[in-house]
Amino acid sequence: MHVNAPTAALAEAASPGNEPSNPLRTDPALRAALARELRAIVDIPNVIDAPEELLVYEYDATIERARPDLVVLPASTDEAAATLAACARVGVPVVPRGSGTGFAGGALPVAGGVVVATARMTRIRELDAEERIAVVEPGVINLALQQAAARHGLRYAPDPSSQRICTIGGNVGTNAGGPHTLAHGSTVNHVLAVEFVLPDGRVTWLGGRQLDAPGVDLRALVVGSEGTLGLVTAICVRLLPLPEAVRTMLAVFDTVEGASGAVSAIVERGVIPVALEMLDAETIRAVESQARLGYPLDAGAVLLAEVEGLAEQVEEDAATVLAALTESGARTVRSADEEAERERLWEGRKAGIGALGAISPNFYLLDGVVPRTKLPAVMREVMALSEAYGFRCANIFHAGDGNLHPNIMFDELEPGSSSRVLELGGEILRLCVEAGGSITGEHGVGLEKRSYIEWIFDPPDLDAMTRVRDAFGGSGRFNPCKVLPVSHGCAQGHAAEAGQAALRLARAPGVYL
Amino acid sequence: MTTDGARVAREAAGTAADALGVLRDALPEGRERDPRGYPVEGRRPAVALAPHTREEVAAGLAAAARGGLAVVPQAGRTALAAGGPLQRYDVALDLRELDRVVEHEPADLTITVEAGLGLGALADLLRPHRQQLPLDPPGGDGVSVGGMLASARPGSWRGLLPGAGDLLLGATVALPDGALARSGGRVVKNVAGYDLHRLHTGALGAFGVIVEASFKLVPLPQATATVVCRCQHLPQADGLARTLRHTPLAARGLALVGARAAAASGLGPAPHVIVGLAGAAAALDRSVREVRLCCRSAHVPHADVRDGDEGWGRLRALAAGAGSEIDGGDGTPLVVRGSLPVAALAAVLEEAEEAGFAAWAHLAAGSLLAVAPPSGEAGDRERVALLRERCEAAGGALAIESGPAALRAALDPTARAPDEVALDIARERRSRFDPLRTVNPGRWPRLDDPGERGAP
Repeated sequence: MHVNAPTAALAEAASPGNEPSNPLRTDPALRAALARELRAIVDIPNVIDAPEELLVYEYDATIERARPDLVVLPASTDEAAATLAACARVGVPVVPRGSGTGFAGGALPVAGGVVVATARMTRIRELDAEERIAVVEPGVINLALQQAAARHGLRYAPDPSSQRICTIGGNVGTNAGGPHTLAHGSTVNHVLAVEFVLPDGRVTWLGGRQLDAPGVDLRALVVGSEGTLGLVTAICVRLLPLPEAVRTMLAVFDTVEGASGAVSAIVERGVIPVALEMLDAETIRAVESQARLGYPLDAGAVLLAEVEGLAEQVEEDAATVLAALTESGARTVRSADEEAERERLWEGRKAGIGALGAISPNFYLLDGVVPRTKLPAVMREVMALSEAYGFRCANIFHAGDGNLHPNIMFDELEPGSSSRVLELGGEILRLCVEAGGSITGEHGVGLEKRSYIEWIFDPPDLDAMTRVRDAFGGSGRFNPCKVLPVSHGCAQGHAAEAGQAALRLARAPGVYL
Repeated sequence: MTTDGARVAREAAGTAADALGVLRDALPEGRERDPRGYPVEGRRPAVALAPHTREEVAAGLAAAARGGLAVVPQAGRTALAAGGPLQRYDVALDLRELDRVVEHEPADLTITVEAGLGLGALADLLRPHRQQLPLDPPGGDGVSVGGMLASARPGSWRGLLPGAGDLLLGATVALPDGALARSGGRVVKNVAGYDLHRLHTGALGAFGVIVEASFKLVPLPQATATVVCRCQHLPQADGLARTLRHTPLAARGLALVGARAAAASGLGPAPHVIVGLAGAAAALDRSVREVRLCCRSAHVPHADVRDGDEGWGRLRALAAGAGSEIDGGDGTPLVVRGSLPVAALAAVLEEAEEAGFAAWAHLAAGSLLAVAPPSGEAGDRERVALLRERCEAAGGALAIESGPAALRAALDPTARAPDEVALDIARERRSRFDPLRTVNPGRWPRLDDPGERGAP
């Protein structure tokens, strides 16, 4: 799925004179000296400088690639802090990296520099079942934390679909969501505190071990800052008790509009399910071609709804949801209480992206948000636009949140298709903005959307954000060219404009989203 | 450049009278109010202004900053005794005219309102749609949206329900340089840009004045009830509360109430556990049965079911210093909030009550509230310092949420063990947003004190 040549645009971004300051690119002796210094901190094998090994760190879940000059794998906060201090002395870009599952190019070292990967920081330092908190290192895999919590009858609420491979540190970077964000909120609502290394190497805890710690809430700012403010080396999260009862319902509809109408009908009845997920016809067919789950091939949409809580509450809410589904024209509704059976209903949702990967050479996974009531209209326009551009578009998304994930399928070998797909992606996100929504609900801005961000924020807004970023002292050296648009972004001014234009497409198949 | 910077700015602007003239000219006619209506900490501002639009707020702030004047935003006047004492107070910025609903699409369960709107008015507006903003900060209905966010005092549902920062989708803030800066949005899920709105939450205006906010709403529960359990002694109440915390219930509140707090809120002078229930009728019935079962096994004699929110309102009023002057003057009651591990709540609660506070704890948030009438500076300082020490020893922290200015001058209202690194970031931020300390100078003593910054 990955393309092996850097795009012309990225190559341009990386050309001398057009990139954020990175002395390692012009001074091989400096690079060797920094590598030596870092090896003294983290031990020899944990600094990577051989070209063939650096390859692994050139990409994330986007197709783009960018070569770091060095990769460091610290094993502790102390090592991470010393690493950052060394990088600060030389003034090189630093890019934090978790599992590299991001869809927005957030982990790409577009200006080169040092990638600090958290793969060796994988300890669950503490799990206190009585206080319902856990302190984990950033490299801990989301699912590993879920499993550790489940042993105590607890859970960590944010559950992005990439949870088998994504890290808690990466989740903090993007303020990750997931299917259950509808009821439980995003990562920021569950992070009590972060241990944070400033760009100059100083370490501090932001937040506390209880909710609403006194003081200025810098914690909430670091969550979702996509690694541009500093490096998170530990996270104190809150855990919630597992619900007494859960019911999952899967409804089949003739049209996406019918299913969207059901979403509104459920909410209007005063029930907010914990998850409301939708698959459209294109996705259903892809899923059925890969794994026979019994979805009717002529169905227009499948809607998954889940309610949880006290058994009596679940009974009541499920009845309400069922009535809304039926009255909205659901062809059939399947319900399940037992975990194994519920898993089966979720299977299509979870396998969806992988199935799409198997039926198309490339696809571009978008992430946009619209107000829930605009869902039917915007979906109609998305489909019309895709058709006008001549691409197939499959949708698998968080309907309850109005969080769309159109997947545009294409073949990059077809001349001109990549740029047309990008253009279509831009138009779809423009639709979201015009409907009163946002350019990203959970994947982040990264490199991909840094100029789109000007569609939703005015210059004073972006100026305020720049002031905040600069107050952390990284002055654009930390994960450069991300989040803020070019005019507010790279230390060296207009570098890597190309980076965002170049960011394209073709995501790895798998379990993401 | 703080107080000193402001002085330089004022000198550049000419006399104080000139500066006030410039400020008055910045707003249209009819915006001036009687400054006697805006006392804070025994001081009266030179001028009081009530802008009608967010643009007027920004223009007023910019004019004040140019003249080196200090501005204190206010609406419900429920959070004026928070933070450090004001260093200067020239201008009262009355935001009550900013009370419009900017957008409410009931089916989206989102709303965008101006900052001066009261929570009571907001609740009235949402009720016909069977929706609510599920926050119940101390002071309740009288608290304005902006004041609630800027002071960020959690209510009794916190932990079982989301906090203000969790429900806040976006905000617009007027900055002292005259800009209006927006962050977040109006949709329920959004990760575009830095979440500055979360940073303004609890910042007491340090980084600007909130003028508009968008929230996620939730449906009103089908039914609510409160179970009031009267216990024989505190260890029994603590045991019951902790058992209930591990029992599946349709709960939105779980409080351990000390005998003094119980007496002050009309429950009677014994330790209590109160459980707030919300949900379907069948879920409430089952929950009441569960609570009664737990009471029986803990040998707790009384468990009364009350309607709706009863029992909680009195605690909410107590936490707001109800019936007292809460403008930060000498008569302002003490309200402190400790953040503590659940396992330490009862012990610190007991010490607080022994020290003369009425104290209660919210188990889901790990927070302890302790309230007392002021008893003079030395006595207040001693008992608050004692409680803070206990909280910090247990791995928690203690904030003074409200109290006389003298107390807040003697003890840093928000700091736990000071972390210089975090302070540096906050100070740097404050300087980038409000270099002259135009808004609420002194509320963050460690960000605004020239001595802290090595200035003369």
